Amino acid sequence: MKPSPESEENLERFIRSALRDLPPRRAPRSLESHVFAELARRAALPWWRQNFAHWPVAARAAFLVASAGVVKLVLMAVVWTMAGLDSAQFASAVTPQFTWFHAVAGFAGAFADTFTNTCGAILRTIPLQWLYVGAAAIAALYATLFGLGAAAYRTLYAGRNP
Amino acid sequence: MNDEPPVQTPTSGLIPPADFTTFMHAYQDMVFSTAVRLTGNEAQAEDISQEVFIKAHEHFDQLRTSPTAGGWLKTVATNLSLNHLSRYRNRWKFFSEFRRDDAASDDPEVEFAAPENFFAHVDADERRALVEHALDQLPEHQRVPLVLYHFEDLPYDEIARQLGVSLAKVKTDILRARAALAKILQRSGTAHENISP
Repeated sequence: MKPSPESEENLERFIRSALRDLPPRRAPRSLESHVFAELARRAALPWWRQNFAHWPVAARAAFLVASAGVVKLVLMAVVWTMAGLDSAQFASAVTPQFTWFHAVAGFAGAFADTFTNTCGAILRTIPLQWLYVGAAAIAALYATLFGLGAAAYRTLYAGRNP
Repeated sequence: MNDEPPVQTPTSGLIPPADFTTFMHAYQDMVFSTAVRLTGNEAQAEDISQEVFIKAHEHFDQLRTSPTAGGWLKTVATNLSLNHLSRYRNRWKFFSEFRRDDAASDDPEVEFAAPENFFAHVDADERRALVEHALDQLPEHQRVPLVLYHFEDLPYDEIARQLGVSLAKVKTDILRARAALAKILQRSGTAHENISP
């Protein structure tokens, strides 16, 4: 039922009156001690774990210089790439420094191939219907869990609030 | 709770505090009130108040002599409370949408006698407790715009902007919040002067 404009005005006047001059609520006595404890905890942190604004000037300057260096390196790499770096020359210069990386990458690739082939072989032995049933079961379990979560929220939390 | 007498809590910060403790004493009730009326939860409001004063400590060199320190604190408390509510709302948004928007909205309209008569038989402390308790009982989507409108004196369009909702929704929510608050107060047994519908 939609209230009349006069009723709305009365209601607003009533609420304004009820809330008007309502004094501030007292802060908990523990607030002050919590604030000072947190300030002390933060002050005790080593400088590198504090806010950047609280770092020593030298450290901030060094960080900015290092950041600028990284940015410059990235930009140079982009420029070299765009300019068409001689790939053979680049490879011969860089490859010897990364032989260990090639070994690790080769091992990881072989392991990934073996794993993929094994999984593929197992999957091929399972009938397609079983896969459909399994997917449906997972979806049903997910929906059930979601429904239970929503019901628990409504019952245990939302039900306590008007 | 704090048993000390309330300290003057001007939002305009008329008295420059000598140190941070004095500064906290001057403003902690105002900051806590802002947070607790918006969140409706004392524990969350205390956490938010703590965060406000830690930020204030970082800017204390400017705030200690600023005539607008109270306004700064109130704005930070409001923004942090709204951010907190926004994070919380997003976390539970899906589940919350299962709830009915306003179960009491179809109730018969209630009219009130002159406002000054409504609390005629209630002393100031009891009145304060009743109103604060009634505010706490409002759902968040009604309490927040109501508090921003009546306590923070924000206009409708600013409330809509801060909450990221339409102007029409803000007006509707505030209207329903007033009705719900009045009904809660009426149920609280103080409606001695309530007149018939």
